[in-house]
Amino acid sequence: MKYLSLVLATITLGFAACTKKDATQTPQASAESAQTVTSGKLTNNELKIGISQEFENFNPLISSMAATSYMLRMTNRTLTVINADGQWIPQLAKSIPTLENGEAKVVKIGGKEKITANWEILENASWGDGKPVICDDFVTAIKIASSPNVGIGEKEVYTQVEKIEIDPKNPKKCKFIYEKVKWDFYQLGTFFPVPKHLEEAIFKKFSSQKEGYEKNSLYTKDPTNVGLYNGPYLISEIQLGDHVTFVPNPKFYGEQAKIKKIIVKLIPNTGTLEANLRSGTIDLISSLGLALDQAVTFEQKVKSENLNYEVLFQPSTVYEHIDLNLSNPLLKDVKVRKALHYAINKDELVNALFFGKQQPAIHNITPKDPWFTDDPNKVTIYKYNKREAERLLDEAGWKLGSDGVRTKDGKRLSFTIMTTAGNKTRELVQVYLQGQWKQIGIEVNIKNEPARNFFGETTKKRAFDSMALFAWVSSPENTPKSTFSSKNIPTAKNGWSGQNYMGWSNPQVDKILEQLDSELKHEKRVELVHQILKFYTDEVPVLPLYYRSDIAVIPKQLKNYRLTGHQFPETNDVEKWNLE
Amino acid sequence: MTTYILRRILQTLAVIAILSYICFSLMTLMPGDPVELMISANPRITQEDVARLRSFYGLDQPTYIRYYHWASEILSGDLGYSRTYRVPVSEMLAPALKATFVLSVVSLIFSLCIAIPLGIYCALKPNTKFDYIVNLFNFAGISIPSFWLGIVLIIIFSVYLNWLPAGGYQTTGIVYDNIFHEILDKSKFLILPVVSLAVQRIGFFSRFSRSSMLEAMRNDFIRTARAKGMSENTVVWRHGFRNALIPLITITAISISSVFSGALITETLFAYPGVGRLIYTSIMSNDFNVAMIAFIISIAMVLIMNLVADLLYGVADPRISYK
Repeated sequence: MKYLSLVLATITLGFAACTKKDATQTPQASAESAQTVTSGKLTNNELKIGISQEFENFNPLISSMAATSYMLRMTNRTLTVINADGQWIPQLAKSIPTLENGEAKVVKIGGKEKITANWEILENASWGDGKPVICDDFVTAIKIASSPNVGIGEKEVYTQVEKIEIDPKNPKKCKFIYEKVKWDFYQLGTFFPVPKHLEEAIFKKFSSQKEGYEKNSLYTKDPTNVGLYNGPYLISEIQLGDHVTFVPNPKFYGEQAKIKKIIVKLIPNTGTLEANLRSGTIDLISSLGLALDQAVTFEQKVKSENLNYEVLFQPSTVYEHIDLNLSNPLLKDVKVRKALHYAINKDELVNALFFGKQQPAIHNITPKDPWFTDDPNKVTIYKYNKREAERLLDEAGWKLGSDGVRTKDGKRLSFTIMTTAGNKTRELVQVYLQGQWKQIGIEVNIKNEPARNFFGETTKKRAFDSMALFAWVSSPENTPKSTFSSKNIPTAKNGWSGQNYMGWSNPQVDKILEQLDSELKHEKRVELVHQILKFYTDEVPVLPLYYRSDIAVIPKQLKNYRLTGHQFPETNDVEKWNLE
Repeated sequence: MTTYILRRILQTLAVIAILSYICFSLMTLMPGDPVELMISANPRITQEDVARLRSFYGLDQPTYIRYYHWASEILSGDLGYSRTYRVPVSEMLAPALKATFVLSVVSLIFSLCIAIPLGIYCALKPNTKFDYIVNLFNFAGISIPSFWLGIVLIIIFSVYLNWLPAGGYQTTGIVYDNIFHEILDKSKFLILPVVSLAVQRIGFFSRFSRSSMLEAMRNDFIRTARAKGMSENTVVWRHGFRNALIPLITITAISISSVFSGALITETLFAYPGVGRLIYTSIMSNDFNVAMIAFIISIAMVLIMNLVADLLYGVADPRISYK
């Protein structure tokens, strides 16, 4: 037995020795470890980014995961996009057509008002194989997206363009004829072209089969084909569930990327992201990585241990709030809703729980949005005021009972707040709010559910008793129709579709929302949105809490890395990143 | 024997068919579907999109019709298309199964190689200091949660000592010169997850082999063998160990049946792209095609390994016959 133990120990040590030898003798491995032990030694040769969310196939027409969108901005570009300052800018297009510059027009076709816009693609915009990006690539994208046999998520992005008329003299110039008059016709940040010279034949061959195109597209069969990408990077290797490797695209129309190799690595456990960073497995944690509490803790370590990293926080368009179920008899009274709002000390909440790294919310539009306003003449602001909250409840007839809970006609002023179980931040917020409401005589019980049940059943079918705490992911200038219009109140009759989970119904808001869709003047649109916000903040169908922040951890030497806070992530400027 | 095997294979197929329908039905009972997930990720998806996608994916059909479509595709050799990863299931599953197989087999062999000799030695020298120390470590191994052990291993060997990578299964972006180079590189990534998985198994297997061997060595025929003057080696290995083998075959067969099921916590912790994580993601996102194939592989492995164990009983103990 002694011999056996000795043999086992020798094998183990030998194995470890071989492994160590490999790490020191293999040129690639040694270069890598030398580079990554500390971020201070990083060069433009390689950057390894950690993400904690799964990614999928890179076909821009059918992908829907946030992690895929994050990486797609490195390889594929669109006509326009929102930059880190929140402005729409041209990307593949030479300029943005507007009514003011005469490149967009409202016309009547077949007795129906439509909008047309002249687009011109950059002369040097080309696919990775050198073929130019042309208007026909957009036509191909529309054709594929319109097929009933292709499972596109947001079909309207493509079908909003009814027809594309290509200039016979210049394949890069074309006129988009939109299905209807809409002010946001130029917001084409998710309208990706697909290379006609590669994908059209495949689509034609498999278009009659359900999911035939998805299964046989080059994005599935040959994802490293350089001709599929027109951005600053090309995909050189992809392993679903593990990592993707990017190399610069020499045919990119813009500034050449400086970092010679970028590896995006999936580390699904956010708890080990920091260990992976500090051990050099990754060099940077992307905005799809750490939770806020983890980032705050790591920032303290960075300061105390003088680590060579920077923790970035950027207010985003994610709006954390509580939907109130207006079908609940107690919540039908606006005074009760206002009292609930006045009783929340949001400044203290964000300071106590988030160290001031997230901003208190006043309504659904975030400060990054051009539609945002905090003008007290335009929206009602609820500054923490316990006395006002108590006054409103007294006025509504709710009297304080001996057990500290208010009652009226034998009924207790008691609610249930629900959220996604296991979300530590939300659970902390619940406890904090419970304490604040208790101070004004409102009893709030906590009942949480797994996210799947909470979103799949409870909120979807408005089955929450009174309060549902969650977030809406938005984008600048996003019309709130899906959450505010009374047509979008989920009912059994409409198959539980729509996201107006509050059951908020205001005919004036419905009317303004319809007007907003077709209002072409920016100033007028802002005015309409502010009118909606006035109703929203006056009637309090929702309790706004805070706007979430995007978080990233980067090596201090990385330059030109900017978190955006909206749906077009920091990789939109990846070509500018520089480690030297 | 052949009739017995054929009968068991037919039973296995029937059980797979029944269980696959049960699993499929249970998955349909879960709230939410892939379209719900799309809505939560994209505020611009319209009600029309939702209705269209539900119909496109057949989510508006009754369970038995959806099962029928799915089963027909499987029988025609098409494993289907992953709704989550947007690739054919075979392309998604094959590398994950391979990675999990390597992790599970290495960890199993490593555990058995350490645990069985330890267990037998302890059984032969019961209540000695060595036995007590091994028992202490066995109980510790069984009790320590694998996620905690994994984090500790990462902190010690990756963060502080910087000897081993914190996660992954190979150096990303590496081009291997030869197979030896590949094995060495991948081994480096396997050490921590294998140790994390093996510690618990060693404790379990070691305790099991100790008790089986202890029981076998108490039998009358052992005393008879010794009385007949047989050498201690013959007594231990030919008479004792052979009789202790039957329970060991059972537990080893059960362990082998899980080599394709993956180890969710370990894989997630070490960012190891195995099938456990894939199954979890598929279930959570209602990716029926991936989850169902993974279920079927797991069910089939359990049934097949049970059959193998039954056959091995006959080899270990000639008194067992399958006539």
